[in-house]
Amino acid sequence: MKLNEVIFIAGKGVISAIGNNVAENFASLVNLQTGVSKITILPTRYAETLPAAEVKLTNEELAQLYNFSSNEPRTALLSLIAAKEAVADANIPDFKKWRTGFISANTVGAMDKTETIFKCYIEDSNTDKLVEEDPYDAGYITELVANQLGIKDHITTISTACSSSANAMAYGARLIKSNQLDIVVAGGCDAMSRFTLNGFNSLMILDNMPCTPYDENRKGLNLGEGAGYVVLVSERVAATLVKKPTTVLSGYANANDAFHQTASSPEGKGNFMAMQSALEMSGLTTKDIDYINLHGTGTPNNDLSEGIAVQRIFGEVPKVSSTKPYTGHTLGACAGIEAVYSILSIENGIIFPNLRFQTKMKELDFTPVTELLENVEVNHAMSNSFGFGGNCSSVIFSKAN
Amino acid sequence: MALYINGIGCISPQHTFDNSVFLPEVKEYTTNRLACVDADYSKFFDAGSLRRMGRLMKYGTAAGMIALRDAGIDVPGAISTGTALGLPEVSQKFLRSLIEVDETIVSPTTFIQSTHNTVSSNIALLCKCFSHNNTFSHKGFSFESALTDAQLLALENTDNILVGAYDEVSDYKYAAMKKTNELRHEPCSNLDIYGAQNHGIIAGEGAAFFVLSKQKNENTYGSFIGNKAFYKPENKEEIRNHILSFLKENNSSLEEIDVVPAGISGAKEVDEMRIELNKNLFSAQTILAYKHLCGEYMTSSAFAFWLASKILKSQQIPDAVILENRNRLPKNILLYNSHKHNHSLMLFKAC
Repeated sequence: MKLNEVIFIAGKGVISAIGNNVAENFASLVNLQTGVSKITILPTRYAETLPAAEVKLTNEELAQLYNFSSNEPRTALLSLIAAKEAVADANIPDFKKWRTGFISANTVGAMDKTETIFKCYIEDSNTDKLVEEDPYDAGYITELVANQLGIKDHITTISTACSSSANAMAYGARLIKSNQLDIVVAGGCDAMSRFTLNGFNSLMILDNMPCTPYDENRKGLNLGEGAGYVVLVSERVAATLVKKPTTVLSGYANANDAFHQTASSPEGKGNFMAMQSALEMSGLTTKDIDYINLHGTGTPNNDLSEGIAVQRIFGEVPKVSSTKPYTGHTLGACAGIEAVYSILSIENGIIFPNLRFQTKMKELDFTPVTELLENVEVNHAMSNSFGFGGNCSSVIFSKAN
Repeated sequence: MALYINGIGCISPQHTFDNSVFLPEVKEYTTNRLACVDADYSKFFDAGSLRRMGRLMKYGTAAGMIALRDAGIDVPGAISTGTALGLPEVSQKFLRSLIEVDETIVSPTTFIQSTHNTVSSNIALLCKCFSHNNTFSHKGFSFESALTDAQLLALENTDNILVGAYDEVSDYKYAAMKKTNELRHEPCSNLDIYGAQNHGIIAGEGAAFFVLSKQKNENTYGSFIGNKAFYKPENKEEIRNHILSFLKENNSSLEEIDVVPAGISGAKEVDEMRIELNKNLFSAQTILAYKHLCGEYMTSSAFAFWLASKILKSQQIPDAVILENRNRLPKNILLYNSHKHNHSLMLFKAC
């Protein structure tokens, strides 16, 4: 295991409520354009009452972007669009000659399909519609996209709730460091579903207005959907690239809060450990981190635990923001999407604001960035993702030398 | 990196949760759906938790705790698990409730347990393990990825890694399997699954966990040498190449292999391919079967890992698993499992 192997980011791809590709996402981020609005695509009784951040295209429209079958699960369509963009962006000469992996994350597989079939099953437990159900699981999405990308050497799916795609990137990097692979397309995807919408609603952690992370008066999160991927490559592959990588994945860590199935510990123990271990791996100190893309869901519990952990570890807190006011909480996709945003921050010297923030939380000494900051030197950006089951992951991206 | 198997815990459709015995009697089923034989869960959870927990949550978590107790480890260095389907029964219970009430009022209890990492994090919660905690959900690669994760962790200086897998047959998935005609027609017996005219798989489930360590001790079952997963092999030649190169990469050879637990499932095409492979490639090895004991499911390779561990430690092979006996001492075991496009190899050595 070559622990000091540098993991370069050769390409990135994203689709979210604020754009169908990296350029569109970047434009929305700098123009302070939120993707949170009324639900128009998901058929649900909450369309008018619970705002969310949907990708504003129907399955038919999504499928047309890559001439794919609109009959496939929405999560697969989102995944394919972002993963294809990432691979094209990396533009790796002789892509086929390298050992390549596709490590993707999602939390509910093809739930949109299952919801439809299950409704028929409730009416008739022997319905012929059941034939369609057979392949639908989390791995189905990944294999479908891997087949389209022509990747076969190493394929797997990670499902650790909202930290899933951070763990996918970490696992990908470790496969490269252990010389099992040269290239890994890593990230995650999730589409809106009634299952998750009603689940989060039953936990009473959804805001019925556009979310306000890190605000004293925050009420909860808005769900979102999308996909985000990065192309991780070894030093050997990086040396062959036409477009030199701007960024490296310099640290990552996975810790567990071991406190409660769905809630974070008040002191953010898991969050603290994840950030600390990621820093240790990167060889950086807290002073080196220029920006933290917070998990910042907007729930009272998450923002408090994360905020306390950030304060405890950093003392002097760097510039921070949550980009979930733009994209909603995209669950298994969020770390992939926010990885792309963190890299954009490094590449462009820009820090994206925490939209809609008004009032400082009384428990915290710091406030997030509220206006677009330009011409900032961002050498190192940390991105946090925490999930149900106490899963806490942090990743660090750094400017490539 | 070779790791010692220092603790095991398995809950399956057979009597496997008691580590002091090894398949004392084989349970016969006359249905095409096998369900786990429950352990006494009150030894692991208080009454309140037991009421709230779904079936898989109970047997998945208990299997993990059995492995930890067996290894004499209070807190593992890390936890990595695989589950192809997560927790389908509670997920579908939640789905049913929200459809039936047309999204009006639903209880969060089942939703809370529906995320795929529930079992892995529940174990962390019970033993206060704050370290690395991962869950892979990728069909027939779920357990295999957790094993790769464990090996990477060992290279990264973690020890006593709890690794495992769990899946269950839900009513809904079983109804779907019946529709696709994959299942063996009833009446059938799991004990004459092989060579019968009546083809088709028997749906199964289970949970199996292992403590993998760098140090050998008096409880060590054997060494886990390595694993390899391969996707969609195009033909038998490709499979053969994967097997031979895997052995070579692990400084072993076909001649050295004594026993091959083979993932024969009862499905006609799979078994025909396997039988030919057994004839041509594994002609000198004792061939074992296991899917008649645990049923077919996407993480059944974890049950086979348990079987290999027990064989290595006891140096005995129960008659109930022998397909072809070549009378070899079980020192080196090569497991070859497959589920549709997902194929995997695991190599073990006796200590």
